[in-house]
Amino acid sequence: MSLCNRNLKMSAVVVVHGGAWAIPDDLAKASVDGVKAAACEGHSVLKRGGSALDAVEAAVRALEDNTVFNAGHGGTLNTEGEVELDAIIMDGRTLGNGAVSSAKNIAHPVTLARAVMEKTSHCMLTSRGANQFAESIGMATVPTETMVTEYERKEWEKHKNYVTGVMEDFNAQWAHDTVGAVAVDCSGNVACATSTGGIRNKMVGRVGDSPIIGSGGYADNLSGAVSCTGHGESILKVTLARLIISHIEQGKSVADSSQLSLQYMGNRVHGAGGAIVVSPSGQWAATFTTERMAWAAVDHDVLWFGLDPNQRSKEQLSN
Amino acid sequence: MLPAVVVHGGAGHIPKERAQNSTSGVSAAARAGYIVLKGGGSSMDAVVEAVTQLENNPSFNAGCGSVLNVKGEVEMDAFVMDWKTLATGAVSAVRDIANPTQLARLVMDKTSHACLTAEGAKQFARSMGVPEVPMESLITEYSRMRWRKNLAPDANPVECQMGKMGTVGAVAVDSEGVVACATSTGGMLNKMEGQVGDTPCIGQSSNIHGQIFPEGHSQAVMSILKLCQSAEAASDSALAYMKSRVDGLGGVVTVDPQGNWAARFSSRQMAWAAAQKDTLHYGLYTGEHFTQSIDEPH
Repeated sequence: MSLCNRNLKMSAVVVVHGGAWAIPDDLAKASVDGVKAAACEGHSVLKRGGSALDAVEAAVRALEDNTVFNAGHGGTLNTEGEVELDAIIMDGRTLGNGAVSSAKNIAHPVTLARAVMEKTSHCMLTSRGANQFAESIGMATVPTETMVTEYERKEWEKHKNYVTGVMEDFNAQWAHDTVGAVAVDCSGNVACATSTGGIRNKMVGRVGDSPIIGSGGYADNLSGAVSCTGHGESILKVTLARLIISHIEQGKSVADSSQLSLQYMGNRVHGAGGAIVVSPSGQWAATFTTERMAWAAVDHDVLWFGLDPNQRSKEQLSN
Repeated sequence: MLPAVVVHGGAGHIPKERAQNSTSGVSAAARAGYIVLKGGGSSMDAVVEAVTQLENNPSFNAGCGSVLNVKGEVEMDAFVMDWKTLATGAVSAVRDIANPTQLARLVMDKTSHACLTAEGAKQFARSMGVPEVPMESLITEYSRMRWRKNLAPDANPVECQMGKMGTVGAVAVDSEGVVACATSTGGMLNKMEGQVGDTPCIGQSSNIHGQIFPEGHSQAVMSILKLCQSAEAASDSALAYMKSRVDGLGGVVTVDPQGNWAARFSSRQMAWAAAQKDTLHYGLYTGEHFTQSIDEPH
């Protein structure tokens, strides 16, 4: 935890997203409420002088607890009806990173990813190895019934008979409600975190972009922090997070960098998605090429949020 | 200038007694990839052929000859990418198959996913009729010896990593100017079960704007990758950045769509070989660049 004076606190920002896809109206309010609450969680950490790393972990944990999102509790099911979770966390100060892929029945994959970063000399653990590690550090597994919602079970049944995870023409209609957060703290350190249950009816062991450094997320104090959401296979092909960072390195704004990168992904591989970005100086953006993206940010005690394109609503937070 | 293939057998510290096998192994793999290209095969066919040879060669840390995880088991990662379509395929922590690169290619060609891990990867292999091989057949005396040594409480894991045979890989450009890459590895010596390094992670073991192909201490490699104008400058720049930013050493093989290639490394050695215009190029120590006719026996 870092201490800072009033002036430095001004640049602390947190941005979160709850997935870029055609969020149906019946999930819209819950999604927006969820990201707003998570942003406020992250903001509380920053406000009391916490690090960007602590803030993104707290925000993503809140989203993992919220069953409306496809991460932790509420995760989608693979083709065999199991929950397999991916997550990444990255510290822009050291470039330290930790990730898990295909971890089963963990309530907070982002915390497990952080443990990989801080308690091992590795960057990523997968599958059984990830679960063994969780056990070794006393992280409990949660029964599948507790993690899966009725809604998800019904959707899984419905889609079971279709070809698994096929990306035909436009993949924006598939649920991509990965969650993520980026933050810059009062010391100017940036961090990112992304967490997901993957795509519904994915093959057993399918790993998407979320836990892959440079694709699902990237953080570097020299440029900024990014968390991505959308069609995983497309994000991987263009290493979306790293692409956005490269544009920032070339001097473009966070908004332009995100816009250009998402457009490239659409043109080159016909993939749609979204990204949240924050720079070390506190500039931030929430951009998407899907129909909707649930996002929220807290900046200078103002809570910003949106769902539809060009929507930017705000609420003043009480001090 | 076209076609061309460049392969590497690992950046690190290769003990003297293993040096000859490393250089002859990468040379044979480069030749095999080149034959595919000259016969009109695609760059993807060429890199898969070259890396398959390295996986079958017990001298390298891929397929047979893979290092062991902390439990004494073999878990392998592999990756392929086709720059024409940006199609990719990867497997991580897969067990009991001889050629993970071929399985990675099947992920790319036969599924709508980019990566399968662990048990899921194995199930997919079964569904594709890929034969299962006993784990013992992938374990060599050398890898077992190194594993045992690294179990000692005072063993220095980083030291031991640099003393191992490295990840293998290949990049190629075919007669149509299409580039492709493939990487394969048994990972880090005595890694935790389920550890995944840079190899199957797109952007770490390969790069979309050319053919950058780093290998080396995977934690460091995972953190950065950079670009420049020429293949050589880009490689040197990336390696220097990795050293200065995260104190990591490694190696890179690169080829661009015009057939310019480079094999660069910041570690003590990297076994590499390239084939272009019927000439075989190869080296092991910094500064080495030997050439001979591709038809001459190595």
